[in-house]
Amino acid sequence: MDARLHQMRNIGISAHIDSGKTTLTERILYYCKKIHRMHEVKGKEGGGATMDYMELERERGITITSATTHVSWNHHSINIIDTPGHVDFTIEVERSLRVLDGAILVLCSVGGVQSQTLTVDKQLKRYKVPVLAFINKLDRVGANPFKVKDQIVDKLGRRAALMQIPIGLEDNFQGVVDLISLKAIYFDGLNGELVREAEIPAELRAEARHYREELLDSVSLTSDELAEALLENKASPELIRQAIRQATIRREFTPVFIGSAYRNKGVQPLLDGVVDYLPDPSEVENIALDLDRQQQPVVLQADPALPCVAYAFKLEEGPYGQLTYVRIYQGALKKGDELFNTRSRQKFKVGRLVRMHADHMEDITEAMAGDIIALFGVDFASGDTICSPGLNYSLTSIYVPEPVISLAIEPVDKISSDRLSRALSRFTKEDPTFRTYLDPESRQTIIQGMGELHLDVYLERMKREYKVEVTTGQPQVAYREAITSRADFDYIHKKQTGGAGQFARVSGYLEPFEGSYEFINEVKSGHIPREFIPSCDKGFQASLKKGQLMGSPIIGVRVVLSDGQFHPVDSSDLAFQLAAQGAFKQAYKKARPQLLEPVMKVVVETPSEYSGSVFASLNQRRGIIVSSIETGLYSTIEAEVPLSEMFGYSTILRSMTQGKAEFTMEFLKYARVPQNLAEELMEKHRQKIEEEKK
Amino acid sequence: MVKKNLSSKSPVKLLEKSITGGLGPGNLGVFASRKGVGKTACLVQIALNRLFDGQGVIHVSYASRVDYIIAWYEEMFKNLASSESLQQAMDIHDEIIRRRVIMNFRQEGMKTEQVLKGLEALLVQGNFPARTIIVDGFNFYMPAAADVQLFKQFALDRQLEFWFSCSLRGDDPLFDERGIPLVLKDYLGSFDIIFTLENERDRVRVNLVKDHDRLSLKKLNIELDPQTLLLAKA
Repeated sequence: MDARLHQMRNIGISAHIDSGKTTLTERILYYCKKIHRMHEVKGKEGGGATMDYMELERERGITITSATTHVSWNHHSINIIDTPGHVDFTIEVERSLRVLDGAILVLCSVGGVQSQTLTVDKQLKRYKVPVLAFINKLDRVGANPFKVKDQIVDKLGRRAALMQIPIGLEDNFQGVVDLISLKAIYFDGLNGELVREAEIPAELRAEARHYREELLDSVSLTSDELAEALLENKASPELIRQAIRQATIRREFTPVFIGSAYRNKGVQPLLDGVVDYLPDPSEVENIALDLDRQQQPVVLQADPALPCVAYAFKLEEGPYGQLTYVRIYQGALKKGDELFNTRSRQKFKVGRLVRMHADHMEDITEAMAGDIIALFGVDFASGDTICSPGLNYSLTSIYVPEPVISLAIEPVDKISSDRLSRALSRFTKEDPTFRTYLDPESRQTIIQGMGELHLDVYLERMKREYKVEVTTGQPQVAYREAITSRADFDYIHKKQTGGAGQFARVSGYLEPFEGSYEFINEVKSGHIPREFIPSCDKGFQASLKKGQLMGSPIIGVRVVLSDGQFHPVDSSDLAFQLAAQGAFKQAYKKARPQLLEPVMKVVVETPSEYSGSVFASLNQRRGIIVSSIETGLYSTIEAEVPLSEMFGYSTILRSMTQGKAEFTMEFLKYARVPQNLAEELMEKHRQKIEEEKK
Repeated sequence: MVKKNLSSKSPVKLLEKSITGGLGPGNLGVFASRKGVGKTACLVQIALNRLFDGQGVIHVSYASRVDYIIAWYEEMFKNLASSESLQQAMDIHDEIIRRRVIMNFRQEGMKTEQVLKGLEALLVQGNFPARTIIVDGFNFYMPAAADVQLFKQFALDRQLEFWFSCSLRGDDPLFDERGIPLVLKDYLGSFDIIFTLENERDRVRVNLVKDHDRLSLKKLNIELDPQTLLLAKA
């Protein structure tokens, strides 16, 4: 196997927003000599950090799209995928996690494990990504890496231990003590680029021994070899590193590094850690489904000699056309190769091949298993699998959540209208959680997504990248309808208008159902011929698309078809479909339908002094406060709040807490809309329909 | 019409009737026993009883996890719903859960002033209509007379009732001759009601050892069902 493979790392940097992830990435690029000047996030120098390359991201100081960049460290090549931190963009995070072999989980040494850290951690676990933790911002007031390490153990449930202890903290943070080599490490030079080893300061020796013991205890639980060596006092630094590497790759242990990216301290040892402890592509098992053999799982081999299997995980519209980011799992990819997209079933020729750096690209002619590169001139959707001819694999599709919010948009003029469709088709290809359709009634274009901010970002991108001016309506919540009791139906569909008539009769009942929809056929003795049973099912399913309360989709219905009647000449597929629709309409009103709305799990983190106002704000929004966790300085308040009440909450929360609180929100469940509100909504719906009629 | 109140024969109500005039606003009550006997089960049943009556409850916990406490409520609700044969249990569940907030104070050595500040924020600014506060996991083995006094004052000022759990530990004897847990002797003045839970031949019996002004051991005809941990007539 190619030695290059063992010197390759594909890593992501995952973190809570504001934990300094972008600054850390920036420093890594600097020390790997990829950039020649450091910038700070939020454009203090008018520059913005290199990885936050989209203008919009620069402006907001957050990272939205995951740019990949390629760096070298200590004879190893590392692909870094910068993952976004905001929960509205989790599809981006999840997509990048799919292609990573390892990750650095960045935590703030003051804030520690916060609600979003939990979300990110859950995702890392879902995709079985081995993790190094980096406790950042040790120069901040209140920094306590020991407490944060305990939180990694308690709150994230990881077996973790410090690899280093700090020399001084806050203003006095000077360097770290490496617990394996038992040396002090200082970072000299203008930008901390000169790493200097020295003896451990006398006053830290006892503490270093204590934490080294803790580290070894923790790791030896995962390695018999190390445990034995420790008993015999023969544990060499190499053996310890080997044991840590194995445990980390098996995801039984999380090494914890510390530092302050902002103060240029602790970044180089972290990079050493990436090389020493995170897996190369051959050490991670990747599974594809063989579409020719009933989707049987196939383990992919990171061997460049085998046929190629690769995964398109991200599309981007660049100044030179569409760029498709691809991770190669097996085989190699060369310029001029003919490959096959297993979703679109189309062959294509590999044209221009590039390796991506944060803001420039490098042309290459070939790439091999384990690599992350980008292709020009191919027409893919994200999530597509590409194979050498002869293979028909699909990499397990990533989990895509349903959108919960929609917004009507209207282009202001004809030019915008043309550009709009181009923009929308690009966005929907890039992001499966962003959807769009034309409302046949209002003739408006509707965009759908995971939250207000998610849609905002796309509106901004329309304006900036496509010069599309649109007017927007009020954000609309995706309501649902559901029945609450059983209701019978018995319906005859009959039409006699010369020529062939139509006749079908169906009877049975509807009842509430836990899932989305179920159809049960209990018709006996051929009262409805077998070939028409699917027609009935189809008719009922068509009825679910639009409820009678507000025209929202209906969920949670079981239809039991128990009897019926047919006519040898006049019965047909269509007649039974129409009978089923008529029957559904008849029974639906009797089944006491009610309106459901999406309810979000909202987690607010706020300094405790503002917790009262936060409680009040959630209460006002029909929220149920589930719990409040107090840690002295901070409160973490978890609530269930209807999505329709959460519009504009980020602005309100910011002004209420002087910008010191933040919140995350994700879809939780559909729940009943209170009666008075439901009536109001239905009345509005009626008025809207009448206006449209006029 | 959804049935919301528990029957008057519900053992939780029997338990409260065994106290002269109930606990009442401004007062503190406590369940004491060794670990794992059923204190939390009793507290959660009292809380559920209040929730069924349409009142709000704040559950203060010093445990490390909130989901653990929520699981307690779910389990006790399920058992209660089936023992009382509640119709439309899920609807009732969804409705009453709106009136419960769990407040978790995680840090070791969290100051009682901070706990009360948190409660105040929720009650006053948050406008949360709770009359009953459950306090689970408070450590009575630290010198805490001043803290309990703060709770008492808060209960009086805001006209709230507080129910505590007290985990007994160490070697026997844990009780004095009147059945009062030794560790609670320093707090007798602050607590109006003291229940103890006692293991007796595989059953857990409830004793009333302080009933407002009266200090005397009264063995109640109430026990915890070993399967469901519901309070039941012995």
